[in-house]
Amino acid sequence: MEILAVENLNFSYPLCKSKALEGMSFSVEKGDFVAVCGATGSGKSTLLRMLKRELTPKGDLSGVVKYEGKALSELDDYTSACKIGFVMQRPEQQIVTDKVWHELAFGLENMRVPNAAITRRVSEMACYFGIEEWFEKSVSELSGGQKQLLNLASVMVMQPDILLLDEPTAQLDPIAASDFIATLAKLNRELSLTIIIVEHRLEDVIPVANRLLALGDGRLLEYGDTRGTVEKLRFLPSLLEGMPAAVRLFGRLDNDSPCPLTVREGRHFIEENYGNSVRSLPAVSYAHSTNAALEFNDVFFRYSRELPDVLRGLNIKVYEGEIFCILGGNGSGKTTSLCAAAGLNRIYAGGIRVFGKKLNEYKNNSLYNGCLTLLPQDVQTVFLRNTVREELEDAKAEAYMLPYDLSPLMDKHPYDLSGGEQQLVALAKVLAAKPRLLLLDEPTKGLDAYAKRMIIDIIKKLRSSGITVIAVTHDVEFAAECADRCAMFFRGEITSLGIPSEFFAENSFYTTAANRMTRGYYDGVVTVDDAEKLCRQNGRK
Amino acid sequence: MKDFSDLNPITIFIYFFAVIFVAMFCMNPVILAVSLAGAVCLFMLRNGAKQKRSHAFFFLMFIVMALINPLFYHNGVTVLFVMNDNPVTLEALLYGIAASAMIIAVLYWFRSFSQLMTSDRLLYIFGSVSPKTALIISMSLRFVPLFGTQAKRIDQAQKALGLYKEDNAVDAIRGKGRVFSVMTTWALENGIVTADSMTARGYGTGKRTFYSLYRFSRFDAVLIASSLALFALTMTAAAYGTLDFVFYPAISPPKLTPFAFIAYLSYCVLVFIPVIIEAEERLKWKYLLSKI
Amino acid sequence: MISIKSSSLRKWLKIIIPFALIPASITAGLSVPGEKLYAYVTLVITAFTVLLFIAGFEAKKTGTRRLIIAAVMIALSVAGRFIPFFKPVTALTVITAVYLGGETGFLVGSLSAVISNFYFGQGPWTPFQMFAWGMIGLIAGFLALPLKKSRILVLAYGLLAGILYSFVMDIWTVLWYNGEFNGALYLSALISAIPYTILYSFSNVIFLWFFAKPFGEKLERIKIKYEI
Ligand SMILES: Nc1ncnc2c1ncn2[C@@H]1O[C@H](COP(=O)(O)OP(=O)(O)OP(=O)(O)O)[C@@H](O)[C@H]1O
Ligand SMILES: Nc1ncnc2c1ncn2[C@@H]1O[C@H](COP(=O)(O)OP(=O)(O)OP(=O)(O)O)[C@@H](O)[C@H]1O
Ligand SMILES: [Mg+2]
Ligand SMILES: [Mg+2]
Repeated sequence: MEILAVENLNFSYPLCKSKALEGMSFSVEKGDFVAVCGATGSGKSTLLRMLKRELTPKGDLSGVVKYEGKALSELDDYTSACKIGFVMQRPEQQIVTDKVWHELAFGLENMRVPNAAITRRVSEMACYFGIEEWFEKSVSELSGGQKQLLNLASVMVMQPDILLLDEPTAQLDPIAASDFIATLAKLNRELSLTIIIVEHRLEDVIPVANRLLALGDGRLLEYGDTRGTVEKLRFLPSLLEGMPAAVRLFGRLDNDSPCPLTVREGRHFIEENYGNSVRSLPAVSYAHSTNAALEFNDVFFRYSRELPDVLRGLNIKVYEGEIFCILGGNGSGKTTSLCAAAGLNRIYAGGIRVFGKKLNEYKNNSLYNGCLTLLPQDVQTVFLRNTVREELEDAKAEAYMLPYDLSPLMDKHPYDLSGGEQQLVALAKVLAAKPRLLLLDEPTKGLDAYAKRMIIDIIKKLRSSGITVIAVTHDVEFAAECADRCAMFFRGEITSLGIPSEFFAENSFYTTAANRMTRGYYDGVVTVDDAEKLCRQNGRK
Repeated sequence: MKDFSDLNPITIFIYFFAVIFVAMFCMNPVILAVSLAGAVCLFMLRNGAKQKRSHAFFFLMFIVMALINPLFYHNGVTVLFVMNDNPVTLEALLYGIAASAMIIAVLYWFRSFSQLMTSDRLLYIFGSVSPKTALIISMSLRFVPLFGTQAKRIDQAQKALGLYKEDNAVDAIRGKGRVFSVMTTWALENGIVTADSMTARGYGTGKRTFYSLYRFSRFDAVLIASSLALFALTMTAAAYGTLDFVFYPAISPPKLTPFAFIAYLSYCVLVFIPVIIEAEERLKWKYLLSKI
Repeated sequence: MISIKSSSLRKWLKIIIPFALIPASITAGLSVPGEKLYAYVTLVITAFTVLLFIAGFEAKKTGTRRLIIAAVMIALSVAGRFIPFFKPVTALTVITAVYLGGETGFLVGSLSAVISNFYFGQGPWTPFQMFAWGMIGLIAGFLALPLKKSRILVLAYGLLAGILYSFVMDIWTVLWYNGEFNGALYLSALISAIPYTILYSFSNVIFLWFFAKPFGEKLERIKIKYEI
């Protein structure tokens, strides 16, 4: 049964010449799990907002969206609020109240549900999502993953028929992210909940989605069952990049067998078609320079006297001219340590040296002038002005020097940009400071695969000109592709460290899909590139 | 196990209303003394020996305020001495002491009230009467610390980007101004997102219900009834002039009719209700603990 | 709740109650022989005025976005009260009133008082602070057009608001302490408050000088972008 139908939808934001959505038509069946993909700024968030009446932005709109055969504008308040649930991109923003229990009850209160019924539904939902332990906590004490789970739960108590999610896992660590997707799959399976999810990290989503929708420049590129759509999309290079590792490997090797989608299918595909007489690529030797760019010696830090330590005897040594990636769970202290390195968090024991000099020897803000720059996790904190142009002029960033094109965004307000575009503009500002040591906190979040590739290129180019880059990231693929060395953060300490091929080979969850696909068959494979090379060397069976 | 602070917020609110209302408007030395004693007892019982500074501050304030009245007011028949051609009278001094006892008592009551009546409790009470205002208040209370951390984050991000070129005051102030300005943009934009999130979950479609974790027990009912009864007794006495106390021109001793006596006694019981509950609670625990 | 249907009547009540009822009630308190009820009467009337406003606001249909923007402005002004010697409450109330109307201004002013007292201590003075800051916002809302046009006027308004605030609050101090109004006591209260008054007025002026324009631009942008 058709639950949602979009008919010839056009939309443009006020004062914008180009349309954000153009001639969009598709329909969704009850119980579908739809994954939406597309480049940064292609209109995914805009499309999703069109499907929820209360969130539709102001602008020129034509065409209709129908829910169960009725146009959205004709729905009664109850149906519109309850039956269509929406989970936003940034977990903090969606939270309304200050207590977890109240957040869960908020929607039901609005729907005039009596107290006894609220108690029943809230407690049931809290059990289902495992929220019981933090039921009476303040929302400000929750970690990013917990906040996102709370958002999902507080939408689910309203018993929606259809759930819309906008990059819900963008800020979650890989394990929390795959847990989150698994919960969605369970809801879809057990309650036959219709789900539409916008994601850049398709690795986890594609295996559970039964339909895939691809957007490009505000138009519908492809829409259909996952397997068929992937088959068509893999000929579009810009979208192939964002596909799961199995698809990318398959695409490069050019085969006529059916395209594998999941890790398991990918593994099966390799084992069926390629031998493993050559088990590994020749080991690359990595030699770093002897000068340390950043050094942590037994660093301890806590946010205030009463709180527990966040950094507990942290030791790191990053050498000049290397790319160093830090991975780790939500709330393990990665951001905290970057801020400590930038002299923004005052440590209470231990020492930090930047290029051999102690932090407090950098007088008069000389640390921040040409020596070190930090791209913060929350990029909105970077913007000071009313247009992108002023931002860039302010930072003396020359737009033509950038590897990506910001010219269409020049006259927009920074807060009017899409999530990924904000990330790119902030990065441009940071690069313009021309530091010797660049600290990046989750530089690729919310970016499509193509933009991610550009960022990898930029970072590698910076390295070749002698700049040291330290990046904190949840994106294992990104770390595997560009890092010289990777480190794993756990409870305020580095617990493992190494060059990617060794580092990822030792982990079983914190590792790339390419590694999981080839584990036990080949050794030391980290990226799809590696897997491709080995397959080619072994040749077809 | 019931602690005074575990009671339903409505009970606590009604109790404090009754006590403070009498304390604020009854210039009768007995009532004032009882009120002051009860207020200090409750505050000490809840805070132990801590808060020495506020005790000292209140004491100092008491002295100063008691002395101000005789310097400005020269009514009264018993002249103590003459200063700058103006008589300083005993009556004015006593009035000053009474007035400052009243103010200090009320301040103590409000201290305990603020501690017990946390914002979520206050919102529980007013949420159903005045939902929009309660919502604005609860949102703002959540925003205040949030904006604090965000302002700090923005400051740090800008510092690391080289916003502050040199270590001088002018630059620092200008930088802070810019941070505040960015902070505002952020706050407004994010406020809109929060508003959208509320609408998306059906806020503003009509009346709402109010869910809370507070329960209303029989003990609450008993306490509310007794608070109101004691309050009514005292106020009736006050309305009949039984509790009137004359300072000027000459002090007249308080009336000691049986009705007045009943009124004093009921206010006394009212004032010490929380102290009794808290004390009993502690004894019970001590007794239990020694058994366990 | 009290809800008055006729909007013009509502508007008149809003003006009559604070300006006529308060002096009237003080006179009434004066004429009761023997008892000094001024403090009591003033407190009740002030609280009633504030409540009436809030009731009117409750009865009106206000968009969720507007509510939240009010909450944001309140939180900003409360967060600002932590800065030593620098109290942006008045200034933010004025700016809100000028750009979003007197009613929102009243709301922001009076609720800022309540909320900051959660941190600095509630007391019987809370209704008076609510009233004083609320009125500063309300009047600024009436004067929105001229205030929007002229910077000098805004600054003058800020200065005056700082002084008036202290005048109003000291009336209450004297009434509460003394039971009746006493000129000498009031004067001495005013004099002892001079440093604070100067500080208040000065920080109002400074704040409005720097922030009235950029703040106004931001509010305008939000108003247009999100149709508040
Ligand atoms: N409020 C707005 N005003 C004007 N233009 C906007 C606004 N919001 C988004 N846009 C523009 O519309 C286009 C689509 O934005 P949208 O947020 O839908 O992209 P997206 O596909 O979700 O991107 P991302 O993957 O980066 O989140 C972008 O070019 C963006 O600059
Ligand atoms: N300003 C703060 N005040 C108090 N505690 C904080 C503050 N910032 C972070 N923390 C706590 O410190 C710990 C580490 O936080 P941090 O932001 O460094 O984690 P992270 O590794 O960057 O996580 P994520 O991957 O979610 O960004 C967390 O437990 C967090 O709750
Ligand atoms: Mg988006
Ligand atoms: Mg982080």
